[in-house]
Amino acid sequence: MGSLQKYYKQSATYKIFSGILNELADFLDTLGKITLNGLDVIKFILKGQIEKNEVITQCYRFGITSLPITLSIVGMTSIIVASQVALEMVKQGGGNFVGLLMTILIVREVGVIMSGFAIISMIGSSIASEIATMRVTEQIDAIEVLKVSPIRYLFVPRVIAGMLMMPPVVIIASAIGVITGAITANLTSGLGYRAFFDSAWLGIYMKDLGVCLLKAVCFGATIALISCSTGYYAKGGAKGVGEATNKAVVWSFVAIVIWDMFFAIAFFF
Amino acid sequence: MSIEVKNLIKTFGEKTVIDNVSFKVENGETLAIVGFSGSGKSTILKLICGLMTPDSGDIITSKGDIAMVFQYSALFDSLNVADNIAFALRERKDLRNKYTEKEIKNIVAEKLELVGLKGIENKFPSELSGGMQKRVSFARAIVTEPNTILYDEPTAGLDPISSTLIEDYIVRLKEETNAASIVVTHQMSTISRTANRLIMLYDGKIVYEGTPDEMLRQDNPYTKQFVTASLEGPMQMISEN
Repeated sequence: MGSLQKYYKQSATYKIFSGILNELADFLDTLGKITLNGLDVIKFILKGQIEKNEVITQCYRFGITSLPITLSIVGMTSIIVASQVALEMVKQGGGNFVGLLMTILIVREVGVIMSGFAIISMIGSSIASEIATMRVTEQIDAIEVLKVSPIRYLFVPRVIAGMLMMPPVVIIASAIGVITGAITANLTSGLGYRAFFDSAWLGIYMKDLGVCLLKAVCFGATIALISCSTGYYAKGGAKGVGEATNKAVVWSFVAIVIWDMFFAIAFFF
Repeated sequence: MSIEVKNLIKTFGEKTVIDNVSFKVENGETLAIVGFSGSGKSTILKLICGLMTPDSGDIITSKGDIAMVFQYSALFDSLNVADNIAFALRERKDLRNKYTEKEIKNIVAEKLELVGLKGIENKFPSELSGGMQKRVSFARAIVTEPNTILYDEPTAGLDPISSTLIEDYIVRLKEETNAASIVVTHQMSTISRTANRLIMLYDGKIVYEGTPDEMLRQDNPYTKQFVTASLEGPMQMISEN
């Protein structure tokens, strides 16, 4: 019986299934931890236990340090899209709709999702590695021994900063995206700025702006919460920090795409 | 009595790291916990200060705070020395509004003076030597006037002179605070200079209990092997497999 069990444990089928189950268990474990941490963050915010100075520091980090890369990414994406569609649309007689198309695309999707990706790669990864390093160097243990809640001290300011700073970043990035789109359309197809901006406003409603800002708030909170959580549960040394950072980026990317899908179904289906 | 540990058991997976361990430490007393790396010494400290929960057993402490000095100091590297020491005074729920900034500044200066590091408030941990970082972590630990202080390998990685200095501060802090202290170490100098009593752990169990002097005199095979650092004896290094 023992040798049969041993043989079974060495079989490829066992290894594949145990691998899948381990991954599933890890996924559910991470999801559960992020959810519980999120509930704790909400609890502290509702109680008003907010470290204001730390919120300001984190707002600077989210809003100011991320701005150059976010604007570059959204701006370049807009150039890519406009250079692909503007000339074709003008050729087909749809030049009057280039501004409309670009604005809808940027305000509803490109501005917010590309800003989210930029913030994940720049700020989310930095938060995860910072907190993971604090974990592996026992700084988080020290916080706990000093009877201070790491969730209140580390998570709350970052989540609030994410919620507060993501909307202005998205607004600025979207504005830059529309402007670069107009310039690109002008350079590639000769479409006048007036023609571009006259149609730009036609397809944008208050609902679009509201959904865009709501998305930005959700994305900011999600990125901060996931990055803090994956860092918080890091194990081991440098390898653990690397794994936590990687996990923060992957989970944040997937999470904001899921959010985006949810918003698309809820508001535009 | 300041701290009493009764029938403590802690397992990780199938491995029992702490196996029915019991001991007491009185106020003003220092207990050294010694043993090989991986014998469960640091786990006991983490159980006492609440970073881990035991599978069974009791940890009874008198009212008051438990402070811990970590092996690698664990200073917050984004905060300067003053903010590190003042951390609990500013952030802890029950202390947050108790002191004015001026009072906090005075407490920080007083604690720094106690560990012989007057005037380094504005330095960052990365600007300090290992021994200085350790002393700052002492100051941070005692800022809440704890009645139990736990030291996790306080002299590991320090040169002999810095080690002696740290050992002197452990004795001085015990005298100043009358706290019950537990020092996890495997350095003989730290044991003999700081401890009133010691317990030796092997494979999660207490294999010796007595004073440092008795340990040197007795014919216990475990202590004998530990003191002589011999590869021959009842204690075998735990295999990585």
